[in-house]
Amino acid sequence: MEELIQHLTPILKEIWGYIFPNEIELHWGILIVLYPYLTGLVAGAFILASLVKVFNVKELQPTYRLAMLTAMSFLIVAPLPLLAHLGHPEKAYEILITPNSASAMAMFGFVYAWYLMAVLCLEIWFEYRRDIILWSQKETGIKKWIHKIVSLFSKDISEKAIHFDKKWVKIITIIGIPSAFLLHGYVGFIFGSVKANPWWSSVLMPIVFLFSAIVSGIAMVLVLYMIITPIRGKQLDILCLDKLASYLFYVMIIDFSLEALDFVQRVYESEESIKILAYLVSNKLFISLVVIQLFMGMLIPLTMIALIKIFKSPPDLKKMVYFISAILVQVGIFSTRWNIVIGGQLFSKSFRGLTVYKITFFGLEGFFSAVVIFCLPFIILYILTKILPPWEEVRNP
Amino acid sequence: MKKFLQKIPEQVKRLSILLVVVVIVFIIATSLLTPKDFGLIGHFRASSVQNNANKKMQYAGQETCSDCHEDMWKTKNAGYHKNLSCEVCHGPSLNHVNEPDQFKPVKPKGRTFCPVCHEYNPSRPTGFPQIVTASHNPRKICITCHNPHNPTPPQTPKDCSACHAEISNAKSVSSHMDIPCTKCHKTSAKHRLSPREFLPTKPTQREFCGQCHSKEAKSDESIPRINMTTHEPRYVCWQCHYPHLPEAQ
Repeated sequence: MEELIQHLTPILKEIWGYIFPNEIELHWGILIVLYPYLTGLVAGAFILASLVKVFNVKELQPTYRLAMLTAMSFLIVAPLPLLAHLGHPEKAYEILITPNSASAMAMFGFVYAWYLMAVLCLEIWFEYRRDIILWSQKETGIKKWIHKIVSLFSKDISEKAIHFDKKWVKIITIIGIPSAFLLHGYVGFIFGSVKANPWWSSVLMPIVFLFSAIVSGIAMVLVLYMIITPIRGKQLDILCLDKLASYLFYVMIIDFSLEALDFVQRVYESEESIKILAYLVSNKLFISLVVIQLFMGMLIPLTMIALIKIFKSPPDLKKMVYFISAILVQVGIFSTRWNIVIGGQLFSKSFRGLTVYKITFFGLEGFFSAVVIFCLPFIILYILTKILPPWEEVRNP
Repeated sequence: MKKFLQKIPEQVKRLSILLVVVVIVFIIATSLLTPKDFGLIGHFRASSVQNNANKKMQYAGQETCSDCHEDMWKTKNAGYHKNLSCEVCHGPSLNHVNEPDQFKPVKPKGRTFCPVCHEYNPSRPTGFPQIVTASHNPRKICITCHNPHNPTPPQTPKDCSACHAEISNAKSVSSHMDIPCTKCHKTSAKHRLSPREFLPTKPTQREFCGQCHSKEAKSDESIPRINMTTHEPRYVCWQCHYPHLPEAQ
């Protein structure tokens, strides 16, 4: 009791207006912010990869395998924030063995399993099969066995079999696009279907989530490609970077328009919640929404990329601008998730007051555990690139 | 058959074996891990009902209290606290029922328990008895003046503001501050004791406000005037103007 009072006292001092007692403390903290951010990166990286296979964008070939592995490593980590938040990871399997079809959250377990096993694993397997077989023939020791097991002891690398693989990579990618939309659209759906919360309840929510996901996925692959390639002592493919930046630019324009549409619609409808939402945006969320999400994460990168495209610039300047823009976009999209998840809980359902979010540093739901979970995908990506190198030069001719 | 099997690409065969293994593992895991009584009466373990029923009982229920404390129970049920159960204030007391001498129910004695409901809070309904503990007899504990089993005020409220503090505060800063409440609201003396059964009246005629605000009124010249025949003749004044703070827009 004492602990609770000590925790709530500083928050009580910062409450503005009237709020209900159960709204003082936020139930969804930074881990739930991290969750849509990570899932968004998965969906975005996959959509980027699909550009190569389905839409035949040849310039993006150097990032195709990297994008797939990025999607994989982020997908493996995506449910961890939820498990940490719910606090009973040992019970997680229960949603799969006793599925409740009336619960959107429970059904997500199946969306996730479908996406992980039927889409990502299968596509990566078909894409890498030939290379894995050839690698395992040259290797010795544990690496040989890992590759043998990963290839399911497959041996057939005839012309016909390779053709079959290529065909199936394309088919799975085509199935994968709606699956990726489902995966991240679902996350938007979870928020958009909370009828009682005017900040969340919007039919546009899954679509806005989806496009911001694509933005963040492209930017993440761009950043990873630009960091990993020089570390490996290789040259960056400027054509590939140009194409990545162009796609990033186009999707950001769509994302920006959708968010503007959502904003205009809310202002025009002016439902009874509009006053408190306006107050929320102009006070508690001013820095994270207007400054970080809108200016730093959207307008500045858009302007920078547009200027680079309009004026012919030297490659080094281009690279620098693309890199900074992609980093800013990451910060902006994380901020978007923050504003949705945290913003939606800051105002009272009485529409008469605001509370505050005090983030803790330690503990299962603290800042530290969020940082650890955020770093995990990069470690997994490192391990995956050791087992399944995505680099062009290790591909067997 | 053999020809058909040969036609299936090698990859598909291997993936099919993997798929079959995954499906079999899933089916076995499901049958082993799903509790036997799951889904018998709903989407949960049927035995969880019994598990909850087996928990140690804490509350006795007010009917049990009435077996021994009938007089107090009757008093409470005739007063304003009739909707509260005994254990809301006295805490879970099944122990006391079983061993009356060994366990005594708690009695909230300080000044912190009653304000859980009765501290002033703008979201509480008008007329619900509310106090500001900092200024309401700060050194006395509640039950020295109030009998919680029959919580009528020790004295009938003298002023309207005792219960209608918010309205009174608004009026005190308005240009209507000198007008007594009873000028507009005819209030029976019984309203003080049974506020909801004897409600005060409200002005129903435009002419009532017109006594001061019409062009012909013989009131002070500084009071705003209107033409009673042309100024929104279909409405009673307070439908648009808030009489406790007429300056408010």
